[in-house]
Amino acid sequence: MTLLDVKALSVTFPTRTGTVRAVRSVDLQIERGSIHGLIGESGCGKTMTGMALLGLLPQGARIAAEVFRFDGMDLATQAASLRGRRIALISQDPAAALNPVLTIGRQMDDVLRTHGKQPKAERRAAATALLAATGLAGPEQLLKRYPHQLSGGMQQRVVIAQALATGADLLIADEPTTALDVTVGAQVLTLLRKLVAERGLTILMITHDMDVVAAVCDRATVLYAGLSVEEGPARAILTDPHHPYAAALLAALPDAVQRGQKLAAIEGRIPSPAQTLTGCAFAPRCPSVLSVCHQTPPPQRGSSDHRWLCHLDRGAA
Amino acid sequence: MTSPILDVQDLVVRYKPRGLFAATPPPAVNRVSFSLPAGATLGVVGESGSGKSSLLRAILRLIPAESGSISFGGQDWLALTGPELRLARQGIGVVSQNPFLSLSPRLTIAQILSEPLLARGDRPGADMREKTALLLSRCGLPPDFLSRRARELSGGQAQRVAIARALALGPRLLVLDEPTSALDVSVQAQILNLLMELKAEFGLSMLFVTHNLKVVAHISDLLMVMQHGVVVEAGPTEKLIAEPGQAYTRELVGVGRHFAMSTR
Repeated sequence: MTLLDVKALSVTFPTRTGTVRAVRSVDLQIERGSIHGLIGESGCGKTMTGMALLGLLPQGARIAAEVFRFDGMDLATQAASLRGRRIALISQDPAAALNPVLTIGRQMDDVLRTHGKQPKAERRAAATALLAATGLAGPEQLLKRYPHQLSGGMQQRVVIAQALATGADLLIADEPTTALDVTVGAQVLTLLRKLVAERGLTILMITHDMDVVAAVCDRATVLYAGLSVEEGPARAILTDPHHPYAAALLAALPDAVQRGQKLAAIEGRIPSPAQTLTGCAFAPRCPSVLSVCHQTPPPQRGSSDHRWLCHLDRGAA
Repeated sequence: MTSPILDVQDLVVRYKPRGLFAATPPPAVNRVSFSLPAGATLGVVGESGSGKSSLLRAILRLIPAESGSISFGGQDWLALTGPELRLARQGIGVVSQNPFLSLSPRLTIAQILSEPLLARGDRPGADMREKTALLLSRCGLPPDFLSRRARELSGGQAQRVAIARALALGPRLLVLDEPTSALDVSVQAQILNLLMELKAEFGLSMLFVTHNLKVVAHISDLLMVMQHGVVVEAGPTEKLIAEPGQAYTRELVGVGRHFAMSTR
């Protein structure tokens, strides 16, 4: 069942010098109980897409979409009221997400109090159970601790426990492991995978790290310049990318070539969000560019399971 | 690879106790020894708190070493003081993680690149302008960037300027502290390519510190894994990646493995 259905989402900022397009056209269909990767580099609009889903766009942002639905409800009008009830955020920096002057117990209780009318003792038991569910040892003692007394991995687990406390069924995880050490990050990913399996959660995993996609994602969308350029099963995207940008991104990783060999860097820069695109957004940097790429937007190719935008016809997925 | 350019023996770095009666903290770097052959790249891998940054700072003489010895280019590096140290330090170039913090936002790129030359005592003038333009072009940026300021550059361009500055005084050793961690994947590839070219062209030795094993394994001849201030494992890159001897190294090597196997 599709929990999140987004079609042609755009987020624009009107300015005196013209319209700035942070998100040009993003499509997302996420099944309940799956982890969907949103892959992209800086400035591709991945965080802005997440913020649109949470109703947390900065002032002056204009949002438009053909379809913008969460569990049948219209997100354009209800995103803010769904946030913290059905949709929760796990941010990159857990230390910034937690209040430094309140104990973990108090911060857990704040969330639980907002979401239910349980008596205090029950809330305390619920908080302990949620902290334990995120793999934290000694949750009872943890309630009395302050965020600075915990390691980064423990803090991120507390943030995840808070997200669970809201009862949300969609978690927007914005680079949840980037600020953590690699081994700790791997543990947090394992936890998220486990929560999806046990609690039927759905996660939108915003990341630039292909290892994260490979480790936990079922499906993934590759963003470039605010456009979803390729969407499909995570494994297909990682092993057989069809959009030239997705292919170039994977080829630029150190594990794509022999040790010490020259890496396939992508030359040039992403188009400015203030720029109006006439043809394909990737055309100026594309190794297999055709003349038509500069003139008309690329058609959608592939199947409904694995699709991409490109003028090149490389055959079916 | 001949005689070592950098030789560290039993280096111990310990920070001061927090208060008057506080217990002496455990050493941040505990009896670390390694030797970097001239023209080779040593990758130092470790997570936060492993002591890799303290090790770098001690090698750069930014913090004192408690005991142990460091020899750089045959000199007793820890015994150098004053003008001698100042002169010898020209042999080491440093590139840090965030170019926007290491490059002054107020200065033009020309000023940033001339600074080390002026500090050495070079005269400003046409020669210096030519030299800075050459440095910049060697790092892949056109000369018209000289009049720009750091904030007008992208992350990758700014890191190229930082590398150019590190090369200004013709160092023999380049110390790189997480040089690509703040960059996007496609830009990271450009910077790694540039470093490999520079290494070949100038015969540079490199000390490359990072938490990203894949990046460091790509560029390094030798690897050293640190945890809690001690060297857990060290050896030639291929051997260490192929057959990690320690559990911790295996864990680090295993993190990125999903992708290589392309399964989940």
